[in-house]
Amino acid sequence: MSELPVILLVDDERHILSALQRILRREGYELLTAASAGRAQEVLAERKVDLIVSDQKMPGTHGIDFFAELQRAGRRTPRVLLTGWPEEIPQRELDEAGVTALLPKPWDDAELKATLRRCLGLAEA
Amino acid sequence: MTEGQGEREGAQRAREPLRVLVAEADEAHAREQTGGVLDLEGPLRRLGHDVTLEIHRDQGAALTALRGNHADLVVLDQALGEGFWRCLEAAREAAAPALAVVRDDDEAFALEAYRAGAADCVRLGEDFADLLPIAAFEQLRRLTHIQQRGEAARLGKTVDELRRYNQHIIQNMNSALVVVDPSARISYANPTAERLLGGEPGELMGSPLRRWFPSLEDDEILPLRTLADGAPYRGAEMVVARVDGRLIPIGMSCAPLIDGAGAREGVVAIFQDLTEIKQLERQVLQTEKMASIGQLAAGVAHEINNPMGFVHANLGQLSEYLDDLGKVWDRLEGLRAAAGSERIDADEVRRAAAELEAVIQEVDAGFLLRDFGTAIRESLEGSERIRSIVRDLRAFSYQDTGERVPTDVNRALDSTANIVWTMMKHSVVLTKQYDELPPISCHPVQLQQVFMNLLVNAYQAIEARAESEETLRGEIKLRTALEGDEVVIQVADNGTGIAPDVMKRIFDPFFTTKEVGVGMGLGLSTSFNLVEQLGGSLQVDSEVGRGSSFEVRLSLDPEDRVPARRAR
Ligand SMILES: Nc1ncnc2c1ncn2[C@@H]1O[C@H](COP(=O)(O)OP(=O)(O)O)[C@@H](O)[C@H]1O
Ligand SMILES: [Mg+2]
Repeated sequence: MSELPVILLVDDERHILSALQRILRREGYELLTAASAGRAQEVLAERKVDLIVSDQKMPGTHGIDFFAELQRAGRRTPRVLLTGWPEEIPQRELDEAGVTALLPKPWDDAELKATLRRCLGLAEA
Repeated sequence: MTEGQGEREGAQRAREPLRVLVAEADEAHAREQTGGVLDLEGPLRRLGHDVTLEIHRDQGAALTALRGNHADLVVLDQALGEGFWRCLEAAREAAAPALAVVRDDDEAFALEAYRAGAADCVRLGEDFADLLPIAAFEQLRRLTHIQQRGEAARLGKTVDELRRYNQHIIQNMNSALVVVDPSARISYANPTAERLLGGEPGELMGSPLRRWFPSLEDDEILPLRTLADGAPYRGAEMVVARVDGRLIPIGMSCAPLIDGAGAREGVVAIFQDLTEIKQLERQVLQTEKMASIGQLAAGVAHEINNPMGFVHANLGQLSEYLDDLGKVWDRLEGLRAAAGSERIDADEVRRAAAELEAVIQEVDAGFLLRDFGTAIRESLEGSERIRSIVRDLRAFSYQDTGERVPTDVNRALDSTANIVWTMMKHSVVLTKQYDELPPISCHPVQLQQVFMNLLVNAYQAIEARAESEETLRGEIKLRTALEGDEVVIQVADNGTGIAPDVMKRIFDPFFTTKEVGVGMGLGLSTSFNLVEQLGGSLQVDSEVGRGSSFEVRLSLDPEDRVPARRAR
């Protein structure tokens, strides 16, 4: 049996992480969580991750800056930015941070699931 | 030489030029301010007098001129500093009347100047251009009056003309002017005063002054105070009743009227309608409130967005859980039917039990039941968070009834801080230290607006410092305390701090060091006014590189003082 795709969920809001886990519970992923960009970096150092989903507004490093750091470090893992104000982030910054997809917050469950599948290169469910 | 010529020459000799000496600190300033004095040249020339106007910027030169030649009138500016007092002294020694030009808000200085012998003080307010010539004329009139007592017959006409000129100014000035006689009745009102009070021409004349101020006590009616103590008052706000009964706000200054021999003849009062200014003030207040609320809206929206997001997602999941648990229920029904039938078929019961077991496995019913509770608990927590944000917002945007009500200062501060905190929680630690406080009589909404301005400024100062200091741990400390008869509220930050040259201007309207769109420069000036209206004070202590601390002080209601004072 092949290994499940690994998704790292990053949000400072515990209840958001737990809601995301609920939604993705039966999607056939292994889910990891981190409460900050710093914690996420630690997870990435230890585990092979196939997709990162991060909140934008977090204490310390914001999502977009976290992604930009990954990009500078040469990491190509697909990444999804969750933000309540998608239009606030200029396209140039999205490109520089290598953002694969933007998801609005609050999200639509079906859209969330479809986006993650697409980013992982999986067929539509 | 003909006789005619001789006569003219004789007359010429009698018309000595009047020397007006002006001592000023700064040239541009001087030109602006002495515009009024320069106007004296024309009319005095018509009276047969020339005015020679000397402007000195150098106090040494001014002193020499004062001591050397006789001056008929000396105009001295407060901005001369020490030079003001030396020139005033010299003017007194030379027996020349001195007019002091005094900063608009400096009552203490004006009183001191009077005491040191100034003939009159003219404040540098909006009226300056009206007031300076009037004051100058008054002095020159007295001068001519005294000088010419001996030659009254010949000069009677000139004094008359000077009077008429005076009259002309008074009739046409933008400010209302009334003269009150020693029996506290109006003995003169200019047309502006008649218009402002809405009376028919002449209607004001002879009316008791008190009639126009039904809402005030005697000692609140400035001209009555001046009548009683002979002291000038300036720039006080009062409420006057028009003939039609409408009450309007006015700003009034008054001074004792003294005749040529130095005896008090009554009081002259100048006032303006402040209705428009008050309206503007209210608009500015509203604009400022809207601007700050705009800044807050994004923070509040973000704060509500997160709990909204997971509550909504959880509800979706819970509904799926319910569907899954419904499947379990269906199988349970099957099992119950099989086990409860008349003739029990063991195989059928076993099959129903196996189906039940399969669906329990399939939907992971054990997990669903556990997580159902967790999801509900988390969602309740989220909705509680939204509820408290809305509650704070409500307290915050409460319509101001315009009346003072007993207000819990700690609550006003706390609800404001909670709202503002939503936009800064990612970069600032907020510490609160609230003392137990008695209620203060005030407008809670205005108080909250003051707190909001201080908090937003503190946050912005921290953000600005964090730009160059990445490791900065932003901190805002709120403290309230009861100190004697006062409630003290402090908002302290560890932001950029305020440089001394900026400090001088932070309370000026429209002064800002922030980018367009970030700062309007109205926060502190409106806050200052609001606190002042409540009879309190707003002070600041700051150090560049360390931070700033703003302190609001409000005094307790007299009734509150005794019972509410805490045991110490
Ligand atoms: N807590 C503070 N720390 C540093 N500077 C401050 C602080 N509060 C006010 N200031 C200074 O005072 C100026 C005027 O403040 P304010 O009247 O609130 O207008 P604005 O915030 O729109 O600029 C600010 O631009 C800033 O330079
Ligand atoms: Mg401000």
